[in-house]
Amino acid sequence: MGLTEATARLRNLLGAENVLSRSEDVMLYEYDAGVDKGTPGAVVFPAATQDVSGIVKIAISEGVPIVPRGAGTGLSGGAIAREGGIVIVFTRMNKILEIDLANRRATVQPGVVNLDLTSAVEKEGLHFAPDPSSQKASTIGGNVAENSGGPHTLAHGVTVNHVTGLEVVLGDGRIAEFGGRVVDGCGYDMCGFFTGTEGTVGIITKIIVKLMRRAESIATLLAIYDSIEDGANSVVDITREGITPTALEMFDGLTLRTVEEATHAGYPMDAGAVLLIELEGLHEAVEEQAEAIARVCKANRAREVRRAKDEAERVLLWKGRKNAFAAIGRITPAYYTQDGVVPRTKIPETLKVIAKVSEKYGLRIANIFHAGDGNMHPAIMFDLRDPAQLEKTIAAGADILAYCVSVGGTITGEHGVGMEKDKLMSLLFTESDMDVMRSLREVFNKNSILNPQKLFPTTRSCRETGAAAIPPLMRKV
Amino acid sequence: MASTANSLLGRDLAALIGSDSVCEESAPLTAFAIDGVKPGVWATPGSVEEVAAILQLANERKFTVTVAGGFSHQSMGNVPTNVDVLLRTDRLNRVLHFDPGDLTIGVEAGCKVAEVQKKVATDSLLLPLDISKAQQGTIGGALATATAGPLKHGFGGAREYCIGVSFVTGDGRIAKAGGRVVKNVAGYDLMKLMIGSQGTLGVITSANFKLFPAPKQTRTFLAEFESVEAALEYRDFVLRSALNPMCLELISSRAHAYLDGFDNERWAIVVKGAGSDAVLSRFRRELGAEISKELAGSDEEQLWLGIQEFSETVQKRHQNAMSMTLHVASSGLSNVLCDAEQSAIEQNMLFACVGRAGVASMAAAFVPLSVDPPSVMQYANAVGELRRRMPRDSTAIVTRCPREAKAYFSVWGGPSGDVEAMRAVKRALDPKGILNRGRFLF
Repeated sequence: MGLTEATARLRNLLGAENVLSRSEDVMLYEYDAGVDKGTPGAVVFPAATQDVSGIVKIAISEGVPIVPRGAGTGLSGGAIAREGGIVIVFTRMNKILEIDLANRRATVQPGVVNLDLTSAVEKEGLHFAPDPSSQKASTIGGNVAENSGGPHTLAHGVTVNHVTGLEVVLGDGRIAEFGGRVVDGCGYDMCGFFTGTEGTVGIITKIIVKLMRRAESIATLLAIYDSIEDGANSVVDITREGITPTALEMFDGLTLRTVEEATHAGYPMDAGAVLLIELEGLHEAVEEQAEAIARVCKANRAREVRRAKDEAERVLLWKGRKNAFAAIGRITPAYYTQDGVVPRTKIPETLKVIAKVSEKYGLRIANIFHAGDGNMHPAIMFDLRDPAQLEKTIAAGADILAYCVSVGGTITGEHGVGMEKDKLMSLLFTESDMDVMRSLREVFNKNSILNPQKLFPTTRSCRETGAAAIPPLMRKV
Repeated sequence: MASTANSLLGRDLAALIGSDSVCEESAPLTAFAIDGVKPGVWATPGSVEEVAAILQLANERKFTVTVAGGFSHQSMGNVPTNVDVLLRTDRLNRVLHFDPGDLTIGVEAGCKVAEVQKKVATDSLLLPLDISKAQQGTIGGALATATAGPLKHGFGGAREYCIGVSFVTGDGRIAKAGGRVVKNVAGYDLMKLMIGSQGTLGVITSANFKLFPAPKQTRTFLAEFESVEAALEYRDFVLRSALNPMCLELISSRAHAYLDGFDNERWAIVVKGAGSDAVLSRFRRELGAEISKELAGSDEEQLWLGIQEFSETVQKRHQNAMSMTLHVASSGLSNVLCDAEQSAIEQNMLFACVGRAGVASMAAAFVPLSVDPPSVMQYANAVGELRRRMPRDSTAIVTRCPREAKAYFSVWGGPSGDVEAMRAVKRALDPKGILNRGRFLF
């Protein structure tokens, strides 16, 4: 019993070429987009749902944990083998199985890359709405497991609002199906429940998602401010005006300059902040809203409100946004980014608190975030080689999240809890709340093999293993 | 023996929550009979802690508990095995927080849906929970039954905008999930489990919602057709257009008898648009010559109220009518409606329906022709036949029918997905199965 035996049996099941166990091979699967680490004992590549079921059964009988993994672009350590064991990688299960245009649904395997689905249906005027910044690489299976968001989820909703059917392999190896093409059904909303469970109650092997029609008109605006406070107040007023942009992103001055130097997207170098605002819908409605937004921004002392004049300019503005974190990587050896959420009226105050935290710890913090839904993304910059700075970074991050929770917010809007924030769950939830969640986990995971030591605070010290000794950081590569 | 036990239970409940909040008198309890099953006692807890105390006691002694909000939709479900305790949420009726600037609200489960809607409307906001009997129905009940109205087309059901929930599990544990902000992935999304769980997993004590800006003006456009096929063809045209209506309804030819403002028996597509004058004239232009009527103001309001209350109106007129909710794939709606009509005719019943044409969620009515008193088998056969003909991923849930008929079929039909996994969820949250026993799938 154990990993060696499990690996031999996995080779029998999947073929030797689909099982990696040499340390130089499995090392590639130690990381996600943070740099929490955990070395898998074996990495396997199933080709079908039956394979996944077989893997789970082997894992149970050998007492080895399982961690499902998409593209490894997650930011909270969800796909990291915290306790070693078997990492299941879905690169071979990457087919779009069906596109049902009449019902605007697609059936996909978990390894399908987010953007590939949109590319496949674009010619029909459709798209898959959840658009995490990682969408060029991240898989839909991973998106479902983490309930991923993205800039355009402000109007379109996060992943769970777009999933209507799932096939999962449960913790006993049994294959179960929930939902289908129809949103509502009879019985519990198991699709809704499974989405966002971060691999702790089952392994997703097939997904049915909604496809949305592209709007006829899109307007992309850039509002430029001398002060970050004016930008933040504009967000509050836009929400109050009853305008729902499809995206409402904010960059502070530091981020702006960094992004502009890296991407030359046309952002102003001397501004205190900008808002990147996108509107979609009927041509008439978009024009009216664009005017209303320009009015609100000007009333809040926007220096200028620009509008992308064509698709090329729009793409360029978004390129700056989507590559922002990579750009930040150019000016710091490492950074630690979080995604706490605050009620939208609290954004101005939260930015002040972040500035104070930055001062208190002597660490630079860049802000680029989904302002429209209050989803902050402070990137705390530090030098990984300096253990004292690392300590301070973790403390600064915890201060910010504690503030988010204190004003009625949450510790994560789209990145998930994973192994990064498991200890912080108790800021939000009582023991009783988590006990109820754990009891649901247990009925599906009796053998305790599914993504152990994730999502819930563990009684053990969470960073006791060498592999998990550092917090999730983005390191300059 | 049962009455002794209940009386003991009554005393113990009174010790937990005060005797004013417990009632064992026969006459008032009769008014709260569910399909003829009279509760042994009712309890009206005033706090989450009291709800937990009641459930802990019931769980320990294996007494069954059924939750009641406004008692407006209790016709749903199979006949209860028994109801030892009717847990009424009347006293859980506070608004916990209303943040118009953030477009969010948190309310206790016993708040009336209409009152919450009225409250948010004062700040020009909208809670799109346009259920029937909203004056009587509660937030907790609307969530537990996953009831929706015409606004489901534009906003989705409650699962899309309920951002937090607090509840007490069957074994008396106090729990919550989600929170007060519009984007949140911390912890399991138990809102999804509680919504539509029919009171079988826990007692919802409060919920938080994302709100929407109320439209400044709306217009409703009507187009009429000779057949369901023609009507749905027009629906497809609307769905393919650039328009994004708030509501998109299909009204069957026979449904007109239960709605004001229709003077013929044709199928209708009803489109509600919202926006400025320019946006509304775009609606007018795109919708084209098919539009036979445009409604505004009180006429418009009346029409939508009528659609919202369709099943109630049918039921008021025909006590022996059967109401159903149909959820089908949008492309299969036409066939399912033909099947439903055929199943009704074969059982000497009339079929009428209104519903969300775009998302293919319909409120259907089967009305027995008044030649003879209907037999229970007519209901059972009509339901059985419809379910047999429908595609596998469709659902036909009977939301109301004569009690006697319920002995001959499940009002739910087959579950949409793995029933073992659903049972596992039930075991986790209500291990002794005391909640709403007998009324749900298992």
